[in-house]
Amino acid sequence: MSFDAILDDYEKRRDHALGMGGPERVAKIKARGSLNARERIDYLFDSGTFIESGLFATSFIPEAQPSTPTDGKVCGYGRIDGREAAVVSHDLSVKGASSSLTNVKKMRHMRETAIKNGMPLVLLNESSGARIPDTMGAVGTGALGQDNEQFVRRREVPYAAAVLGPAYGTACWFTQLSDFVAMRKGGVLAVSSPKVTEIAIKEKVDPEELGGWKMQSEVTGKVDYATDTDEEAIDLIKKFLSYLPSHHNQRAPVAAVPSGSGDAARKIFDIVPAERQKVYDMRKVVAALSDTDSVFEMKPRFARGATTAFARMNGSTVGFVCSNPLFKAGALDPDACDKVTSFLVLCDSFNIPLVFLTDTPGFLIGLAGEVKKAPGKIMNFMTAMQLCSVPKISIVMRKSYGQAYLNMAGTRNADEMLAWPSADIGFMDPNVAVNVVHGVTYEQDPEKFTQLLDEVSQESSAYDLASIFSSQFVIDPRETRDVIIRLLEVHSRERTGGISKHQLCNWPTTY
Amino acid sequence: MAEERVRSEMTGKVWKIVTKVGDKVSDGDEIMILESMKMEIPVMVDTDGTIKEFLVGEGDEVTEDQEIAILET
Repeated sequence: MSFDAILDDYEKRRDHALGMGGPERVAKIKARGSLNARERIDYLFDSGTFIESGLFATSFIPEAQPSTPTDGKVCGYGRIDGREAAVVSHDLSVKGASSSLTNVKKMRHMRETAIKNGMPLVLLNESSGARIPDTMGAVGTGALGQDNEQFVRRREVPYAAAVLGPAYGTACWFTQLSDFVAMRKGGVLAVSSPKVTEIAIKEKVDPEELGGWKMQSEVTGKVDYATDTDEEAIDLIKKFLSYLPSHHNQRAPVAAVPSGSGDAARKIFDIVPAERQKVYDMRKVVAALSDTDSVFEMKPRFARGATTAFARMNGSTVGFVCSNPLFKAGALDPDACDKVTSFLVLCDSFNIPLVFLTDTPGFLIGLAGEVKKAPGKIMNFMTAMQLCSVPKISIVMRKSYGQAYLNMAGTRNADEMLAWPSADIGFMDPNVAVNVVHGVTYEQDPEKFTQLLDEVSQESSAYDLASIFSSQFVIDPRETRDVIIRLLEVHSRERTGGISKHQLCNWPTTY
Repeated sequence: MAEERVRSEMTGKVWKIVTKVGDKVSDGDEIMILESMKMEIPVMVDTDGTIKEFLVGEGDEVTEDQEIAILET
């Protein structure tokens, strides 16, 4: 055969593979307002940087080969804002992007290449689950599981996922394993499809209830953001990755500091009321302390009594862990513990310094919390926080009580402990303590209550904390940003080049 | 017209209702204030709509997740 003929054949095969599941199926994807698997990759990567791996992979079943271009998962490498990344983009037009023996090998190669070379793994997920009949029977199922590291996370590199349609089986598993998840509204994230679920449990199941965006972003907290379009979801992945290093032995990239950064920090009293019974939105405080427009909140719709957010201070990434008085008075419930723990794991794994902003009445107590394993969640949070070896700066703003004081990196749990002069610290809110310790309520005896309140409130000030050197600084709230930046310069971890011990790197991805 | 039930985020007491039936509200607006854990906790709606009915009055005790108002959306 001449080279012309060989190349002619090559081009035909390539065009067939690039054509995905054929014009009709691709048009269907477009009609529902989605990008197809290849358009998503184009949108993700810097123009002209994508190089595809496994273009000619197909099903291992000979008769299925013509109908399985790329075997339904488009894989390869490209650059995001100039930095290398690997991608798995599920192609719903090819057998529902179902997982098969061949395309699982492709996924493995992406994961291994990403980890070996220190670049993020991006998962554009949409899959009907395991492919039938490939995985049926002992031969089909037994052929799986060749990769005994497939589902292991050591967080050498970030995983970022988008759920852009149905995501069952492997697509669901890798979403669970990811550090960040954006979900297009209308997508479903679940173990199995509603059809399989209905057959199994003999009950009609609504896809939205089974694993829709509202449930996943507000109840389970597995999804960080819900979006209306594929583009928005992919933009969020890019934004998330911009705060992180490409791998665990790197510091996060440093950005330019926008003009006007720090102006709002000096007007912090416009946000935080002095009266402790008044609430405010801690997210506004984080925004004021950070470089202008640099805040990226994680899980904003889930467990809102806690705020977790990446931001930049003087151009460098920091992770904020806060109680937010606007929701549940800033009391931390079991979901908030999970949210904070996952963020601590992420920041420590990728060398992001932590700033704790505390204004909390404590952990939310009560029957509902106990049923949701509050004690265990509090200890998971505490253990994770104590294992964090990135720099930790902890600031009590107005109040911090009981175990929550310790969980929010109180005393020696932080590299530096700070308090605003307004801070009140104790084993519980003094108003509650009067009742608990002395059995007196304001309603019963206002005079006695006030006298006891004065007694209980003794020695609970920022200065009392500083006097025993359990805090190193009492600061003017308007100087909070400047002090954090300066202390992070001091706690630079220069001996390790800013790299943490990564003691949380294989902490479970959901709990 | 659809209805949206506004729920209490936590156990507490209704301290002040700051809107009235018929008021138009937007996502993030405060419709009442609860008192809990010695703090004033705003109840905010997360959708646009009109207040159709309050299911609680000032001074009432509420529990977490209790329905406290109905919005027409």
